[in-house]
Amino acid sequence: MNSRDTVLGRIRNALADRPVEELPPVPEVWPETNPDAETMAARFAQELDAVQGELHRCRSMDDARAKLRGLMKEFGASAIGAIDGPVAREVTEGLNGVAWVAGDWDPNRIGQLPLGLVAADYLLADTGTCVVANGTSQERLMCYLPPACIVIAKTDRLREHLPAAWKEIGPRAADPALCGEFVFITGPSRTADIEKILILGVHGPKRLIVLLVG
Amino acid sequence: MLVKMNTHLQGAEFLKAKTPGLAEPAGSKALGESAERSAKNNQAVVDQIRDWQEWREAAHRVKRHAVANLDKLLVEFERNISARGVTVLWAKDAEEANRLVIGIAKEHNVKSVVKSKTMVSEEMELNHALADEGIRAIETDLGEYLVQLAGQRPTHIVTPAMHLSAEDCGKLFAEKLGEPFTAEHRALTDIARRHLREEYLQAGMGISGVNFALADTGAIAVVENEGNAGLSTSAPPVHVALMGIEKVIPSIDYLPVFWNLLGRAATGQKLTTYTHLIHGPTPGRKLYVIILDNGRTNLIADPHTRNALGCIRCGACLNNCPVYRRVGGWAYGWVYPGPIGAIITPMLVGLDPAGKLPFASSLCGACAEVCPVKVDIAHELVHLRHRAVNEPSPARSIWERLMWKGWAFAMAGPVRYRLTMLGVRIGVRVAKFLPWHPLQLGAWTRGRELPKVPGPAFRQLWKEKR
Ligand code: SF4
Repeated sequence: MNSRDTVLGRIRNALADRPVEELPPVPEVWPETNPDAETMAARFAQELDAVQGELHRCRSMDDARAKLRGLMKEFGASAIGAIDGPVAREVTEGLNGVAWVAGDWDPNRIGQLPLGLVAADYLLADTGTCVVANGTSQERLMCYLPPACIVIAKTDRLREHLPAAWKEIGPRAADPALCGEFVFITGPSRTADIEKILILGVHGPKRLIVLLVG
Repeated sequence: MLVKMNTHLQGAEFLKAKTPGLAEPAGSKALGESAERSAKNNQAVVDQIRDWQEWREAAHRVKRHAVANLDKLLVEFERNISARGVTVLWAKDAEEANRLVIGIAKEHNVKSVVKSKTMVSEEMELNHALADEGIRAIETDLGEYLVQLAGQRPTHIVTPAMHLSAEDCGKLFAEKLGEPFTAEHRALTDIARRHLREEYLQAGMGISGVNFALADTGAIAVVENEGNAGLSTSAPPVHVALMGIEKVIPSIDYLPVFWNLLGRAATGQKLTTYTHLIHGPTPGRKLYVIILDNGRTNLIADPHTRNALGCIRCGACLNNCPVYRRVGGWAYGWVYPGPIGAIITPMLVGLDPAGKLPFASSLCGACAEVCPVKVDIAHELVHLRHRAVNEPSPARSIWERLMWKGWAFAMAGPVRYRLTMLGVRIGVRVAKFLPWHPLQLGAWTRGRELPKVPGPAFRQLWKEKR
């Protein structure tokens, strides 16, 4: 008998009494109040701040581009790595030093980028969370390797909370062709492993900067 | 079908090893205070949600359902995640799981491995097994990294290096990595960052645990704060995820419930910093999931301990346990400390070596009260006490059995009771003058003073007062 059958056999034996346990409905404890974008943006700002993330509100893509330039200057970065996509294309239009991280990039090369730009699929107002869908390992690494992670999203990406976003994430996750990950990022990398003192930027980015456009 | 006792279980007798830091007494005191602080902080975040009880109840019922249908859910999970290009492997016990990991490593010509925290791999003693094959395994969670450098074992399932002070860490880095000494938290963290970064980039394989496995969509969820799990599972070309059979839940729909409970109960966060929902290998990469029993089916076989499988390893019961706070993690003799360890360990490694663990509790019930999935820890402990006493065990000495027999006899009538108590009072007075004591009593008094005989007995006081 192979191990799969052995383990399943053990489980079936152990469950000889076959208890009946009804599956409960998903609790609706976070009522949806469908707040407007401005309310959600304010909440997002507050929650992001609470988890040591930084928010830049940008009126337009031009404004966001100016912020990006400012950040490159602040970091003394002549280059910024970016994951290709419509929002990233739009915000970097005419910007010098953009390196488009492609599928043939070695992790070492991503590790040398001083700044990384990724676009969020959703922003969760209630927890200050950025949800990023990463289909390749390069996309995944862009969230973890550069010392500062810049996340860009338009205000139409704001969702009230996790269960609200779940309505869209659930069906996407059910697609058998989907690979890679959804990562839910709530603040920069952190640890409290030494004497419970909070330190940001252990392995992942030390700073998480969100450009919210619109 | 008990698990082979691991090498570090050889002191499995409870209380033989008290958790020391590098410097002993301060270490365990620091641990107790840390645990208490975590307990308070996390509770404050829990208290923010009005509907906490409703969430707990839902999670509890989902887990009960999952265990009752475990075979079906595992098969469904296997089918759905396999369809995404993931290789699913099964292991009866730790030894087989190690063999599987080593096989994968050899197939891909792996020389070094980066690991994010997985309790299952601690069960397997995977690092030793890999080392025996000449494969380097590096722990990347900061706490685990420190503990690995120190050649120790974790004292806590969420914060493994809870017993080490910043100074201990500085000494460790100086000694093992040749870094200039510092006891400053930022500098210490940066040292680890620098060293581990190289490891991620050169490793041939990354190993992670699994917090939740979703049957309906075929995905795994990994929850972490440092970014080390993200890096370990994306930088190397091969990712191996280790999961106990109990990690599967029926549907993605329940995931927000569990994430919210876990973050708050474990670290007082609304959501843990990085929550990964992984659906399959990225192009050009390999992803393996190993499903491990290793004695878990023993927990299912006993209807009274079944619910302990619902545990999501948040550590809240440890932080809130007065016994854990005093004795630390190592005293529990194996991988899982604290109240939940006192249930899991005897069932995974056997009541014989670990049957004393369920007695290491005051049954105050603080654990069950905070448990986000409502594992009824105190009741399960009482049940295991029954089993430990009733199942014939060579570990229980003839003296212990005789003592209990005698106790039962003495308690069976008022005259017997009075005579016994008189005997005890006289006996203790006499024993105080003896230079040594025989047998079990001798073992007990080697490190302790015999207590003074207290003043008049309650029965006497009662008589007088009346
Ligand atoms: S038993 Fe409950 S409180 Fe203890 S670690 Fe598991 S989930 Fe947390």
